Amino acid sequence: MRSERLKGHLDMLLLSVLSRGPGHGYEVITRLRERSDGAFELPEGTVYPALHRLEEASLLASAWDVVSGRRRRIYRLTPAGAAALAEQAEQWRDFSGSVARVLGMPAGGMTRRPLSRGAPA
Amino acid sequence: MTRHAADAPGDAVEDYLDRLLVTLSGSPRQVRHTLAEVEAHLRDAVAEGMAAGLAEPQAQAQAVRRMGPVTGVTGRRTGLARPSLALARRVTLTAALIGGAGLVAIGGAGLVARALLAAKGDAFLTAPWPQASYTRADCARWLAGRPGTRSCVTAMLADHAGDFLLQATAAGLLGLLALAGYFALRRRWRDRATLTALPAGTAEALGTALAAVAAVACFGMALDIEMTQRGVGAGEPWSLGVAAAAAAGVLAMALRRALRRTSA
Repeated sequence: MRSERLKGHLDMLLLSVLSRGPGHGYEVITRLRERSDGAFELPEGTVYPALHRLEEASLLASAWDVVSGRRRRIYRLTPAGAAALAEQAEQWRDFSGSVARVLGMPAGGMTRRPLSRGAPA
Repeated sequence: MTRHAADAPGDAVEDYLDRLLVTLSGSPRQVRHTLAEVEAHLRDAVAEGMAAGLAEPQAQAQAVRRMGPVTGVTGRRTGLARPSLALARRVTLTAALIGGAGLVAIGGAGLVARALLAAKGDAFLTAPWPQASYTRADCARWLAGRPGTRSCVTAMLADHAGDFLLQATAAGLLGLLALAGYFALRRRWRDRATLTALPAGTAEALGTALAAVAAVACFGMALDIEMTQRGVGAGEPWSLGVAAAAAAGVLAMALRRALRRTSA
């Protein structure tokens, strides 16, 4: 998927990835790639300004820790971040459902099949 | 100096971190933290690539390619747009603080001059012009402004002293306006990029240095007049010197506070 298209939803995706548990930047990008079956490819460095921006907005909190012998900044979702994620997910469901209806796809059809590289748009 | 292996050229990760370091903006702590995060990320990516069978240089190249350009990490398209705005704001704040403090100091010099005028008279505050440098018309104008005075020189000294006090008062009022603008803008421009566009205490340090130089110059001039002209006209440089020294003291204390805030 083109990174420009992904950027508009990056905050929601990062919050979602971190809702499954805390993680450092590399873990976040790895989980994002795995959970999208490799469809979400974006320059990995772009994740950091987004993480920092979400932390400044108090949607994430971070702490430094040593993991696997390296000093890492571990991000976790805050209660405000969980609320923001729930709201954004709801908006996304409404939007994607509307798009599906316009395209004549069955309701929920866009969410039943996992998104994968090469899947028809 | 012994060259460490990690300093050797051709290490794509080290090269990337060097480029990132000179591109990042923000406080020293933010820069260190982002650099540490990105380095850990790149080392993980290199380890993953090597575990998948790549040689180290290829794994490094792949890790850097996947990370994308350094401007992606800094979160801006070019390295100039935000810093230039932040720098312009910070320079404006610096100019407002130094200009305002300088003008208020001149206003303060006016107050000192009033005290000197009351204690020692017009001739101590300002020196008369050389006789050939003014005309009868000048004399008539000065005398017209001082109806009770018969001497042209006395009227000239009183006129010049009045001018100095008026100009000092105007400068002081302008300075207060400039300082009010400074504090208003400082409250408005509290974003991190503006606050860190110049090192902490830059305005205070520059202002202290300028005020100290002005004080030394004015005191030197006053002493010279005391010795060569028996003090006639020394009042102006004395009053300006005292005000400049006071401004230097106030700005030095502000500098100390700014540096303490930074180190806290």
